[in-house]
Amino acid sequence: MSERIVEIVPEAGLHARPAALFVETVNDHEANVEAGPPDSDLVPAQSMIAVTSLGVGQGDELRLVADGPDAESVLDELERILTTPEDELEA
Amino acid sequence: MAARTLTGTGATPRSGLGTVVWYDPEITLPDTDEPVDGDAERDRFADAVETARAELESERDATAERVGEEEAAIFDAHIQFLEDPTIREAVEASIEDGRPAALAVDDAFAEHIEQFEGMEGRMAERADDLRDVRDRLLRLLTGGDRVNLADLPEGSVVLAERLTPSDTAQLDPETVAGFATVTGGRTSHAAIFARSLALPAVVGLGEVLNDITDGTEVIVDGDAGELLVGPDDAEREAARADEGAEVIEEMVETSDGREIEVAANVGRPEELEPAAARGADGVGLYRTEFLFLERQSPPDEDEQYEAIRDALDTFPEGRVVVRTLDIGGDKQIPYLDLPEEENPFLGERGIRRSLDPDTELFRTQLRALLRAAADGAGELNVMFPLVATVEELEAAIAAVDDAAAALDERGVDCERPSLGVMVETPSAVFMADEFARRVDFLSIGTNDLTQYVMAADRENERVGHLHDPTHPGVVRAIGRTVEQAHANDAWVGMCGEMAGNPDVTELLVGLGLDELSMSAVTIPDVKVAVSETEYSAARERADSARSVATRSEVHETIDQ
Repeated sequence: MSERIVEIVPEAGLHARPAALFVETVNDHEANVEAGPPDSDLVPAQSMIAVTSLGVGQGDELRLVADGPDAESVLDELERILTTPEDELEA
Repeated sequence: MAARTLTGTGATPRSGLGTVVWYDPEITLPDTDEPVDGDAERDRFADAVETARAELESERDATAERVGEEEAAIFDAHIQFLEDPTIREAVEASIEDGRPAALAVDDAFAEHIEQFEGMEGRMAERADDLRDVRDRLLRLLTGGDRVNLADLPEGSVVLAERLTPSDTAQLDPETVAGFATVTGGRTSHAAIFARSLALPAVVGLGEVLNDITDGTEVIVDGDAGELLVGPDDAEREAARADEGAEVIEEMVETSDGREIEVAANVGRPEELEPAAARGADGVGLYRTEFLFLERQSPPDEDEQYEAIRDALDTFPEGRVVVRTLDIGGDKQIPYLDLPEEENPFLGERGIRRSLDPDTELFRTQLRALLRAAADGAGELNVMFPLVATVEELEAAIAAVDDAAAALDERGVDCERPSLGVMVETPSAVFMADEFARRVDFLSIGTNDLTQYVMAADRENERVGHLHDPTHPGVVRAIGRTVEQAHANDAWVGMCGEMAGNPDVTELLVGLGLDELSMSAVTIPDVKVAVSETEYSAARERADSARSVATRSEVHETIDQ
């Protein structure tokens, strides 16, 4: 089980393109990922509805917990998405 | 006479004749008491998801190519909503319980849509996303095929409940004859987009639009704001003739060499390129309040800076005239908490609000403008709306100086733009000389000027005959303003609807206007009208138009 806390850089927060990439990335890896505010309940990160309903905005912190063979690599990738300004994001 | 005429709001002053293609037919959900084959329904659901995904991917690619990556991102989000395991599990469980797939989908989305609807800010927009995804699935499940907007037969008139930005981005003005929608107003996204593409469009026709079926011949009359169903020969002929002029890219001058700038009125960044494509020399009115609409909080300094710099970069050789925030009157912005006024058009609007209570918003906007003036390619001009007194103007100018000082102190690059005043109030007409001495230019907003000079509400049809800028009272007000401006070394533009009417171009050139600014659609027609005008003759004619007593006499001098 791996875990990290990331501060959100994209202006849109965890919505629109960053959110879509985030969920897509989770689903492309062999890992069970959960996400949520550092001091609160986690939601399944493979659900776009759950992820966007967190209402995470630019500058907020997000706690990521991953379990499974790809746990480390999926967290690396998610951290990259969450810390890259939107206009520099490559799909 | 057409068999039937529906009335809505014209979005583009242009007519188009064509055949109805419904974009989003109404969805009819199946009855609950029909027996259901669970396995078959599960397969139908899986197929619908797969088809929806393919549609979304192709729409995403088309939008990325036609409009841009940023606009295409919405489709990526929709794909992820479509494949959300929460939805899939709920639908499958519901089918297991004997529900048909379409109803299972409707139920599964309902709860989440409601959840997002109850939230603040951007979260509420997610409800729209979920509704779009749900409707896409339901259309596939109930057999209601949706047409591909990017591949319509020539001469199609698209009818729809509403068109989203991504929908309109797919319309090809070369093949589509126009569109008409049930909902929407003049400032809705679809309406603005239609204007910038010169696509005939009428919005807000109401539920009766649903009576018009696929294959019906109609005329979209964006001038009158009407949809003519089953037009007669004369109406068809008139619509076919309404092609408009060829685009002229260069600046135009009268036959005797007086150069007239023909510029575009814009309100959103996405209108800039289409305006340039229709031959605009620059922007004569950037309505910055549009940057504040359809959102939950005001744009910050950087966002405003980017928007204005984009405009300046779109017209590197030209002039961009930006009007500072003009809210109040009929323009409401929910998060600004505007007061309820007995008579909003005579109340707190324009510069009055910017000086107090929107002082902070005004400061932020001015900082953004001064920074953009330094960095953008074109020449920035800033004007203040609804100025009635010299004190207001001087306070606004002082605010510009303060913003420049604040930026200098921070060590941020900035440049003081040329400044101007909008002439919209009778007071501004009488004080034009005093204003012109203090600024570089005046710009006449004929919609408001006519409303205030004639004391005739723009929206009240009962006094519509008075709301006409060719009444001698308005013509004289315009003539006087131009004279006073020129006598005090200021140039004068016009940015009301009058400026975009090629029938009065000769009059306006004759009255001495230096610049005419209009929605992009009529720019080619006005450029042609300018080049066909002889300034010396127009001047004489304008003098007579200023000396006659009635509107019909004004028209006689124009039509001679």
